[in-house]
Parts: sequence; structure tokens; C-alpha cells
Amino acid sequence: MSELDHRVRGVDHVAFPTFDPAATVHFYRDVLGFPVVHSICAAGWGPEQHPDFIHFFFDIGNDDRIAFFYYFGTDPSVGGPRGAKGDVYGRFAADVPEYFVRSRHLAIHVDGEEDLLEYRRRLDASDWPVEMQIQHETIESIYTHDPNGYFFEITRALRPVTPQEDLDAGLTIDALLDVVSGPDPTFGKLLARKAELIVERAAGWAPASTGPAS
Amino acid sequence: MGAGLDGTGVVNTLYVLDVPENIAVPKVAAEDPAVTVGRLGPYFVISADQPIVIDRRAVGARHAVWYSCVAGVAPGSAITKHDKDALRVEPA
Repeated sequence: MSELDHRVRGVDHVAFPTFDPAATVHFYRDVLGFPVVHSICAAGWGPEQHPDFIHFFFDIGNDDRIAFFYYFGTDPSVGGPRGAKGDVYGRFAADVPEYFVRSRHLAIHVDGEEDLLEYRRRLDASDWPVEMQIQHETIESIYTHDPNGYFFEITRALRPVTPQEDLDAGLTIDALLDVVSGPDPTFGKLLARKAELIVERAAGWAPASTGPAS
Repeated sequence: MGAGLDGTGVVNTLYVLDVPENIAVPKVAAEDPAVTVGRLGPYFVISADQPIVIDRRAVGARHAVWYSCVAGVAPGSAITKHDKDALRVEPA
């Protein structure tokens, strides 16, 4: 329910380290066809003995970009001991649950099924084939891991988001903040608090335009 | 709500958002004559004075939809089962 005007315009770039720029370029540029759109070649400087580095960017559509840092003279050990799970940036022990390891990821949007399947074909013909194709609640996604071990998703909307889902999301967040401000938050407590908010607010709600009736 | 352990005389209520994926949930719930399905804004209000049991296979929802279809459960009731077979709501 923010009164602040919303001025931002999507992702400028999201950046990750890589120790294998050849495979990274092969994956993003040659397999997926994401154009290289920017790069910076910088000599290291500053108090931290910063290595010389290349910062390179791929277009992920919409003029948004995924970027990588390659630091000369380094290898993955700069980030600490190798993990049993994770990627070259985030390392995890074998007993860290998979849901947690996979929780932080980048999902790139496509407009529809045809485009999703085109990227599936490109990945399946590469060294990084699609590991899963899943229909979630309202999106369908394909997944693989990029050459750096980063969990990589391409997704399409199965349908447009409806106005009532915005209402529901707002109620969820308000209920969540209420529940986590108290002791022992649980899913059951959230659903109970959300039911109270539904009773308070849902009757007076009206879609801004013509929402789907039923 | 005075929650009787046997569920009798207590109104159980759950709320389901009206989106295309969820349409079958209130439909299947309403097949039980003890269940009433109403509306509150964009939510289906599914109520009964006995435990509400909804069969997943009858709903036919894929897992991601099935496990996220409940928007709220009125205080006094609770979900006591939500698995691959059924959703059950009864007095807490």
C-alpha cells in the first residue's frame, strides 16, 4: 500500500564471479544466444590488492543484463574451501538442504511456450541440458546449472496475473509481518491471520478494471 | 468459536482465491451436502459445521496448485491434513 511513486525500470544488471570465462561465454553467448553488450577491462587498484579483472555483460532481453567478473590470477579457492553443494560463489556442506541451496537464483522471462521450448532445445543440444521442466502455480520453467554452478531458470507465465492476486499478495504480506512479529510463526498462524484480513478487506475490494467473474 | 473436538456444531471456514487454477476446489467441496460455498470479494468461502474434506484427485490440480490453494483458514479451524490425497479442515 505504498504511497511512493514507483520509478525503477527493471534489472540493470545482476553480477556474478566466474573462474571459467570460456565456458561462461560459450553458455550464454553461443548456446543461449545472449549478445555480449558491454565489457570493462580494468587494472586492479586500491587498498585491497584488487586483481586485474574483466567485467562482461550479456543482454538478457529488455536491455537488462547478466554480468560476470573474471579476476586474473585467481581460482575458486579465493572464495574459500570447495563446498559439497552450491556454486563458485556460494558453497554449502553436504547436509544443507537442496531447497535452501536452490533458493537464490535468477529466472529469465520469455513471452510464451514457443520461446521456452526454443531455449529448451538450445540447452538440450549443449553440455548443459535442461534438468527440469516444471509447471508451478502460474508459471512454467526450465532449469539447468550454468558452467559456474549457478542455478539458472527460464520461465513463462501460464496466464496473466489477475487483479485479485494483487489483493491476495498484499494480504499475505500483511499477515506474514503480523505472524513473524509474534512468537513461533507457523503456516497455520499465517492462514488464520490472513482469514481475518480477508474478512476485513475482501468484501470492499473491487477490481480496478474488468476482473474475471465467476 | 467454541471448538468441539468432534467438530459438530462448529463452523469450519476456509478461503480460496478465485483464480482459474483454483476453480475446481470449491466445486469439489460443494459436492458434500454439508458444505456451503459462498463469496467474499474475490474469495470463495467454503464452510461446514463438520470437518471439510476435499479430495485432490477429484480436484485434479497439479501439485504446485494443490499445495498453494488455501488463502486463509478462519481462526478456530485448522488444516489437519494437506497431502497428495486430500485437504482436511476441522476445529483447531
